[in-house]
Amino acid sequence: MSTPTKLIRAISVIAHVDHGKTTLSDRLLEYTGTVAPRDMVEQVLDQLDLERERGITIKAQAVRMLYKADDGQTYQINLIDTPGHVDFSYEVSRALAACDGAILVVDASQGIEAQTLANVHQALDHNLKIIPVVNKIDLPQANPELVREEIEKVIGLPAESVIFASARQGIGTKEILDAVVREVPSPTGDPRAPLRALIFDAKFDAYRGVVTYIRVLEGTLRPGMRIEMMQTGKSFEVDEVGIFRPERTPVDDLSAGEVGYLIANIRNVRDSRVGDTVTDEARPAATPLPGYRHVTPMVFAGLFPTDTEQYQQLKEALEKLQLNDAALVYEPETSAALGFGFRCGFLGLLHMEIVQERLEREFNLTLLGTAPTVEYRVKLRNGEEIPVDNPDHLPDPGEIEAISEPMVIATIVVPSAYVGNMMQLSQERRGQYLNTVYEPGDRVVITYRMPLAEIIHDYYDQLKSRSKGYASLDYELVGFQEANLVKLDVLVAGSPIDALSMIVDRSKAQQQGRRLAEKLKTLIPRQLFEVPIQAAIGGKIVARETVPAMRKDVTAKCYGGDVTRKRKLLEKQKEGKKRLKRVGNVEIPQEAFMAVLSLD
Amino acid sequence: MERLHSLYLHVPFCTWVCKYCDFNAYAVLEGLIPPYVDALAKEIDAAADALPVGPMETVFIGGGTPSLLTAEQMHRLMDHVRAIGLAPGAEVTMEANPSDVTDEHVDGWLAAGVNRISIGVQSLRPDALRFLERLHSGLDALAAIRTARAGGFANVNADLLYGVPGVDLAGWLETLEAVLAEGVQHLSAYELTVESGTRLGQEVRMGLVRMPAGDDQLEQYWAATARLEAAGYGHYEISNWSRPGFACRHNLAAWNYRPYLGCGAGAHSMFRLEDGSTKRRWNVKGPHAYIKAVGQTGQAVDEMETLTPERARGEAAMIGVRLLEGTRSAHDFPEQRRNLVGAGLLLENDDQVRLTRRGVELANQVGAAFLV
Repeated sequence: MSTPTKLIRAISVIAHVDHGKTTLSDRLLEYTGTVAPRDMVEQVLDQLDLERERGITIKAQAVRMLYKADDGQTYQINLIDTPGHVDFSYEVSRALAACDGAILVVDASQGIEAQTLANVHQALDHNLKIIPVVNKIDLPQANPELVREEIEKVIGLPAESVIFASARQGIGTKEILDAVVREVPSPTGDPRAPLRALIFDAKFDAYRGVVTYIRVLEGTLRPGMRIEMMQTGKSFEVDEVGIFRPERTPVDDLSAGEVGYLIANIRNVRDSRVGDTVTDEARPAATPLPGYRHVTPMVFAGLFPTDTEQYQQLKEALEKLQLNDAALVYEPETSAALGFGFRCGFLGLLHMEIVQERLEREFNLTLLGTAPTVEYRVKLRNGEEIPVDNPDHLPDPGEIEAISEPMVIATIVVPSAYVGNMMQLSQERRGQYLNTVYEPGDRVVITYRMPLAEIIHDYYDQLKSRSKGYASLDYELVGFQEANLVKLDVLVAGSPIDALSMIVDRSKAQQQGRRLAEKLKTLIPRQLFEVPIQAAIGGKIVARETVPAMRKDVTAKCYGGDVTRKRKLLEKQKEGKKRLKRVGNVEIPQEAFMAVLSLD
Repeated sequence: MERLHSLYLHVPFCTWVCKYCDFNAYAVLEGLIPPYVDALAKEIDAAADALPVGPMETVFIGGGTPSLLTAEQMHRLMDHVRAIGLAPGAEVTMEANPSDVTDEHVDGWLAAGVNRISIGVQSLRPDALRFLERLHSGLDALAAIRTARAGGFANVNADLLYGVPGVDLAGWLETLEAVLAEGVQHLSAYELTVESGTRLGQEVRMGLVRMPAGDDQLEQYWAATARLEAAGYGHYEISNWSRPGFACRHNLAAWNYRPYLGCGAGAHSMFRLEDGSTKRRWNVKGPHAYIKAVGQTGQAVDEMETLTPERARGEAAMIGVRLLEGTRSAHDFPEQRRNLVGAGLLLENDDQVRLTRRGVELANQVGAAFLV
């Protein structure tokens, strides 16, 4: 029943957005008969609407294809689709660790783009065999020859190994599959060794509990087996093992080299952590697989329903979402300005946006998110040390002995032309330079030690824009460091808005306060009356701006035929106002709460 | 259903569609006028059979350019109106383009039964008329008013536009003064509004035209209001002024939330039902489609909507507050009234409310407050 190890391949597809990754994956599924063309209405691998719209993959997907090659053998090719953003870089690294090769897709008219390079470097870091493909050769503006040369020059893959394809027209599909069979190494693990399977994703299924995505690297996994998660130490009995074709299909066993899933009555994705190693409780492996990282939230923000009556719904929605998202944490929070809500922890800003969007779309809520912050450690004069993940909870300055903030080692990979820009940006953000390594292929790796708080304040966007998109970023938490920080408060129409408070570096506080007030002035819509905006440090006003009162809003003509249109227009404006949060008698839009993120 | 005593007839033809206009109007379709008049007559007859209509207290023939119709065609339409019932002393208005107002036409229109004429003067300044793509001169427009009055119209309105790019306060008041000197009974002054689907909208979006600032528009508006009041014109609606007794009865009916029948391409009708709900329906917009539909079925309804009594009350208040001498339409909204009074936008007097000066400037904010 099991495929001999030498006939197994595990690959992922890497590409810049829009270069045809999804279409190519669809063609592979079709060509191998995994999915019938008539079922191909929707692109199979991307599932959430959100993923399709944003052109990113949030959750990994895995499909098994069977391919009969010209040598007469039937190969088992496992296709693993990986998420694509710095917030999920750890998840990406685990998905790539589950592969032996990667198909690199480059658009025949666009050529190699920044993201392509970053992805290739990541794949090379995991020792993946790369199959270069130039896609969309059928387009009139295509220049496949030139792109082929570029692949050789920039990435160093021999030009003759490049396959020309058009995923839209099905050109090159067979050549790609043949190259996968020929070039990608087969797995080397021993099916009789003690079990070691790598978890690269997990999803919650309302009926079956957690479905754990795994690649078995050594040994064999069967239903009925008692397994142990080597990092968390939790053990479970396996109900079902199976493969994705692309729907879940149970099989008798999964052995070394195979990719699939296991279901073991696991009730919470936290017990099935990405990167953990699954082993046989009766015959455990000596050591877990390398590279495990316990994922902890890096940024924190408040989520509040704009309509206070949706609090209970928000609570239930968070409970449900958390079943499927091991990185999301939350606890109740009360804000004087915004009412009852939840303080939530996220992997990064994109993760936060995705969570907020999913809560709004899938649970039909209207939410207001406050600006994300990091978690500070505050040492009090009485010797006690407390964590503060909400600027408004910072104790009175008189009680504070010292404040420490989380520090990261940031690794930036960038072409040499942009090194100066990267360094300038990182210095501005209180970065402490560590070192620079020049690597082959015009690749410079720069490392900085810097406060995490600086990174979440649009550092990544700046990095991208100041390197024309070429820089890639990874960061790792390395500890806490004392810093000279103060709380900046904001008053709108004379009332302090707790949700707008931020903790900032003392030397930059006054300037930040001025910028924040200026920014808020542009974001708070004109009201019926004048709205003063003030920024204050320790009770001292450091900046003041005024939103002038609304001047004019009157329709000149309103006759019989105009009434319906006018009413609909006013109704629509009124609906739009529901997105604003009423604080006192001022209506504040979501963007105002995020203003602190981009003050440069 | 409440009986209908107001009738609107739409004539969607124009020699030229001005770049700011977003009405249902079409150029170069004049060839369709004869079959269109046939269809309009048929729709009037059919509506009278299906609905409780008449006698009509007010009739308004709007456009487009109704003055493109011949005197015979106008007469024919009015014969159909008389057939379904026209009250003695009814107000019968038609809109006219200045170039069409000749002695001969005026005689024909009066003979047809029209007794109020609304002339599209817009501006008297050559640069503004060119900008607005009007095909007449300022002198033509003044002559039109004179011709209409001399020919026997005792109730004449002039439509004007302020806030036109390139026209400053003095220039605007000059136009206003010259029109007042002609002795019109009624005056409508509209802020030039940029509508997204028009060529003006496109030019503004592309940055080719810059509209005057809101403050400048308001300055022209209040200056005109002061001048008109001094000249004895009552400011009875946001954009309308009249000599005592000459407010437009047709439009007053609509602002007082009285039902009306609308016939013609794209025309809207409003019905009031016994339970307090409002039904609005509107015809297909294109003249071809309209003619075809009426030919087949006697009507050309495109869509309709029904407002619950609660929403209808909100709509009545939204429209009613535009009447500057006061309205009872906001009677059922004590809380909103209180808030608006508190914000300085509304004045209360027993069960009447009226907009303050600032309320006029923010009339949409006031209107929206009543929508639930």
